[in-house]
Amino acid sequence: MDNVLTVRGLKKSYGTQTALEGIDFDVRAGEVFALIGPNGAGKTTTLRIVATLLTSSAGDITFLGRDHRKEPDFVREKISYLPEEAGAYKDMKGLDYLHFMANFYARTPEEEKDFVDRAVAITELGDRLKTKVGTYSKGMTRKLLLARALMTKPVLAILDEPTSGLDVLNALEVREIVRRYVREGTSVLLSSHNMLEIEFLSDRVALIDKGRILDSGTPEALKEKHQAKNLEEVFRSSLR
Amino acid sequence: MKRFTNLLKKEIKELVRPQLIISLAFTVLLFNFIGQVSKKEVQKALGVQTISALDQDGSAASQALLKGLESAQFKVLDQSGKTKEQAIETAKTGESKLLLVIPPGFGDSLRNLQPETIETYSFMRTFSLIGARGQVVVRGVISALNEALSNSFLKEKLPDLDPQSLKNPIKSKDFVVVRDRMAEGSASMVAGLISQQSLLIPVVLMMIVMYSSQMVISAVAMEKQNKTLETLLTVPIKRTSIITAKMLAAGLVGLISAGVYMFAFKGFVGGIGEEAARAGAEAGGAALMRQLGLTFDTTGYLILGLSLFLAILVALALAMILGVLAEDFRSAQNMIMPMMFMVMIPYFISLFADINAVSLPVKIFILAIPFSHPFLVSQNIYLGNYGMIAGGLAYMLVVFVVLVVFAARVFSTDKILTMKLRFGKKKAAVA
Repeated sequence: MDNVLTVRGLKKSYGTQTALEGIDFDVRAGEVFALIGPNGAGKTTTLRIVATLLTSSAGDITFLGRDHRKEPDFVREKISYLPEEAGAYKDMKGLDYLHFMANFYARTPEEEKDFVDRAVAITELGDRLKTKVGTYSKGMTRKLLLARALMTKPVLAILDEPTSGLDVLNALEVREIVRRYVREGTSVLLSSHNMLEIEFLSDRVALIDKGRILDSGTPEALKEKHQAKNLEEVFRSSLR
Repeated sequence: MKRFTNLLKKEIKELVRPQLIISLAFTVLLFNFIGQVSKKEVQKALGVQTISALDQDGSAASQALLKGLESAQFKVLDQSGKTKEQAIETAKTGESKLLLVIPPGFGDSLRNLQPETIETYSFMRTFSLIGARGQVVVRGVISALNEALSNSFLKEKLPDLDPQSLKNPIKSKDFVVVRDRMAEGSASMVAGLISQQSLLIPVVLMMIVMYSSQMVISAVAMEKQNKTLETLLTVPIKRTSIITAKMLAAGLVGLISAGVYMFAFKGFVGGIGEEAARAGAEAGGAALMRQLGLTFDTTGYLILGLSLFLAILVALALAMILGVLAEDFRSAQNMIMPMMFMVMIPYFISLFADINAVSLPVKIFILAIPFSHPFLVSQNIYLGNYGMIAGGLAYMLVVFVVLVVFAARVFSTDKILTMKLRFGKKKAAVA
């Protein structure tokens, strides 16, 4: 399987504080790759670098065979990023927000309509999309933002804690949406500190702590390697 | 271009909210209302005013004085037959603004060339300047009477001589020279007219800078507060387009808002200033300014417009950087203060001092503030200091380019997410 994203020796420092100490991983076409680890492990920094928001201090990233650092505009055309604490413009109606975002990616009005129709189907919000985003619940806003991230069928969707702050049912719905879109060809790079969720959602995972990758592989292979029942036990075993 | 237009439309829609429209409409109505009320008050003050007069003399001279007041648009209420105290009480409770007491023997004293005192009692029911105008006019009438009486006396005693020549043996004829032009008039009148003509420039500049800067700072700060900035920075649109769209939207809306406020302000000032302006024009002010070449031609207006435009661009670029430093909407409000001071310093200095005549360090300090230059443009045009004008324009252009390059750099690097300024707190570590 071809790699969509290849990350080698990625380092990031903020002044004297080191966030990433040189990490390596690949995201293959059509897979969900997850970075799991505790808060402050370096997950968000990694995703922000891949999403072209931050620049790395050292290391190489190759995206679809091109130099990620040299061609950020190309990367932005092909990816979509859902930050952990993302918001939408509160005074916009849900539908207007989707049109506004679709307009950046669509080349024709027909394509824009396709994107928005797809997003409307993902959100399942119906007529509520005709009301202002400021009136939405947290779950509704998160679904709107996830729909925005997936509507263009990006090559790589970067999802930072996609179910963060959601109740059980909303979190389940979001996971199902992600899985469905992977089947349609989008690769996903996501982060979470909810290891049970990751086990359900991911094809491969990397365990990250203090800016280093401790181990990586499929959830099954990791459980077998560490003789653990779940990824939480794998993580504890990796720390030893 | 399609992506830029998409973003620009969103920025304009975010700025033009019902609150802004209501606030603009309310200001126009309020200023217009105050202007109309003020206009009526001014007309009232300039129209017939009621005063009381207690003529304790009843001579031809005292009657002439009262007649003089009537011809100066005063309605004189006669209090004859009362004591001074009674007259004061009556006038106090009535509508009179002033009581004039002409003492007994007023006419005789004048005939014998003995100075006589007239008492005036002003009833101050308001402390407005317009309210005190009655006394000024009475003084004018008394002064005119003094003039007439002394003239008639001199004529009587020295019939061969002109009383004016006796009273003012030295006369002056005033000329004002500006560059290569000369005209008859006083320097204070020219200075007054110039400051009247240039009055609107600082007001316009302050309004536009205030509104546009606040809009840009808030636009960036709101993106941060609502957590929409990160998403916006990862969509396929150039960072410079994001900066330009925000600046252009704020510039356009700020310009329109300032225009509306100026319209409202004109309605307000027009109410008070109309009469004064008419008086100035009648006094030959316009002709004097034309003779001295102190009027703006098309080139003058173009230079002034260019200077204001560059100042606005500098303000927008500076506001963009300050917006990045602000963490949320509230801290954005604090960020606007340094910009306000930068506009107010040259404004106040230009009110009280000649910027060209201050000491060198102060002059350098003032000229280093980009917003000083539009204040200086009009007088530099009048005085033909085109080198100074060109220098000012070039300086503002350089400052704008430097600020835009810096803003673009901030938006293209990690700084857009990591740079922040907290008031009274240590710099936050990045997660």
